[in-house]
Amino acid sequence: MTATPQPTVFVVDDDDAVRDSLKLLLKSIGLAVMAYPSAPEFLAAYRTEQAGCLILDIRMPGMSGLELQQQLNVRGAVIPVVFISGHGDIPMAVEAMQHGAFDFLQKPFRDQDLIDRVQKAMERDAASRDQLRQLGRIQERLDSLTARERQVLGLMVLGKQNKVMAGELGVSQRTVEIHRARVMEKTEARSLAQLVRMTLQLEHRSE
Amino acid sequence: MPDRPTTQSFELQALLDAAVDAVILINHTGIIEVFNHSGTRLFGYSPDEVVGRNVKMLTTGRDREQHDGYLARYLQTGVTHVIGTGREVLARRKDGSLFPAFLSVGRIAGSEPPRFVGFIQDITRHKQALEAAQHESDRANQYLEAAQTMLVVLDRAHRVTLINRKGCEILGRDESSLLGIDWFDAVVPSEQRSKAVFEISAVAGLEPHQPHYTEYAVSATDGALHLIAWRCVAVQDATGSVTGILCSGDDVTDNRRADEEATEARERMMHVSRLATMGEMASGISHELNQPLTAIANYAQASVRLLALPNHDLGDVREALEQIAGQALRAGEIIRRLRSLVRKRETQREQAGINELITELNSLTRADARSSDVRIILKLAADLPCLSLDRVQIQQVLLNLLRNCIDALESIPAGHREVIIGTGTTAAGDVFVEIADNGAGIAPEMLPHLFTPFATNKSQGTGLGLAISRTIVEAHRGRLEYRANKPRGAVFILTLPDERGLTG
Repeated sequence: MTATPQPTVFVVDDDDAVRDSLKLLLKSIGLAVMAYPSAPEFLAAYRTEQAGCLILDIRMPGMSGLELQQQLNVRGAVIPVVFISGHGDIPMAVEAMQHGAFDFLQKPFRDQDLIDRVQKAMERDAASRDQLRQLGRIQERLDSLTARERQVLGLMVLGKQNKVMAGELGVSQRTVEIHRARVMEKTEARSLAQLVRMTLQLEHRSE
Repeated sequence: MPDRPTTQSFELQALLDAAVDAVILINHTGIIEVFNHSGTRLFGYSPDEVVGRNVKMLTTGRDREQHDGYLARYLQTGVTHVIGTGREVLARRKDGSLFPAFLSVGRIAGSEPPRFVGFIQDITRHKQALEAAQHESDRANQYLEAAQTMLVVLDRAHRVTLINRKGCEILGRDESSLLGIDWFDAVVPSEQRSKAVFEISAVAGLEPHQPHYTEYAVSATDGALHLIAWRCVAVQDATGSVTGILCSGDDVTDNRRADEEATEARERMMHVSRLATMGEMASGISHELNQPLTAIANYAQASVRLLALPNHDLGDVREALEQIAGQALRAGEIIRRLRSLVRKRETQREQAGINELITELNSLTRADARSSDVRIILKLAADLPCLSLDRVQIQQVLLNLLRNCIDALESIPAGHREVIIGTGTTAAGDVFVEIADNGAGIAPEMLPHLFTPFATNKSQGTGLGLAISRTIVEAHRGRLEYRANKPRGAVFILTLPDERGLTG
């Protein structure tokens, strides 16, 4: 798995001139750009771990920008989508925003407006990917726990005393203390509070 | 008889016998002295049977009873009810039957005591003819009064000589207030008066029974104006000279109002559909123009940034500038091809039955067709599938085709102008509408340009109708085609696909 090392701006627009000019404009700012003439071609080439943002024409023949956005949501992609639309497409733009689009721009637009939005979208993408990586690390640590240790973790986050846990698990208090220490060590949690936060983060992601 | 016949009296007898009327001479007591041949013919008595007897035998009833009295009174007072004037009497034949007769009586000059001569004319036939005429006239009057048409007869000076009940009803006036007065002064609004008088004067120049049609309003006493469609013919006397004008009129105020309302509704619809199309086109145009404008802005802004780079590549900038020029030309091309944008605009699709659209349209164009004397016949197939279409656009196409037919039928004599609108399904399951007329058809040299914009053979028209219609139909994935009608005329066929199941 070779993720694109540099965050990239992806452009999907069926209009050759619009697509090509966007590519040139983004390149002139020094951004990496990949451009596609249709939604299916982009979907075929894109992998969700590729960082960057997506500039998407809302109105295209075949699969529209809105349909592509839904496909990306289904795949669990986090890449922020900036829609570009004409004057008559405000209702479609509203719908796009409701489905989690990052922003939208009306054609034609000032280069500065585009750059601002692209940069914000890239920052958002970096932040979400950072968060994802953190969650991934937490998951890895929790995955390293034994079944018994996971049981203890469950009781710890509920705030149970060692004595109560020992009673519930049918083991000695001493054994509970050893499991607790192993849980704190493996999860690299510095406090019970941090441990609770980690488990909540994972729960939220799985929702 | 007191006198013997002489040569003179033979001549007199011959004269009397030649007379058509019965001639009877009586003396002052009513005794018959002379009775001629016509007397025998009328009464059935020979002279021998009546001469020497009282004349009252030839009459009946009150006359029979009082004839002696009449004579006595005349002799006494000199007052007569019959001499010099004559009167109608009832006469009695030998067989007892009665007949109406006209009796004129004269006193024989110089006779003393006076003698009288009577002339009796059988007026049976005359009476019958009079009665028949009266009956005829009564019946005509009944018709006149019962008629739901306004009937007015004017004399040569435009004075009313007759007006029927319906006429009085419409005007809200009595017959007596109209008879003898100037019709146009009395009931025609002043602004229409000179036109109405002018129109009516045309009637005098026409052949007898040849009607002249005109329309003018009359004002009722309540101030309401009634628009009347008039049919006027000259009235002639036995010698053929025009004595006046008979006008029959129908109140078309309500019809006209309905026609006007239908026209208004149609114009509203045309206006709305035009606005809708313009709005849609404007939206389509702005979208299409946005593309090259966006590209131009992007290329230009990229060029500025590229030039600001320390080691900029002029090749990239040149390419961008070439693109800018190309996109500007593209924008110009879009504006030039305005028409083609109808094809690309987003339409308001909804499920609709084609028959329903036609019926709706027909109700709007009925007045138009009627005023052009065109009969529109609908032959709509049952159980057609509903189509996903833009109602206004498809109705615009149908309206345009129908208007073309109505215009094309102008060259056909009234009464033979027909448009047949039929619907059905093709073997492939597509729905079609055929609009066929029996006009002149399309000239072969026009055929290649039939759907070309601005090609028209009409004096009024943009030449865009069929071009836009075909564009609209193609935007519905349908077809608009032409074929010649048999034996004559044009058929336009609009085919629309049944797209159920293709949309999901």
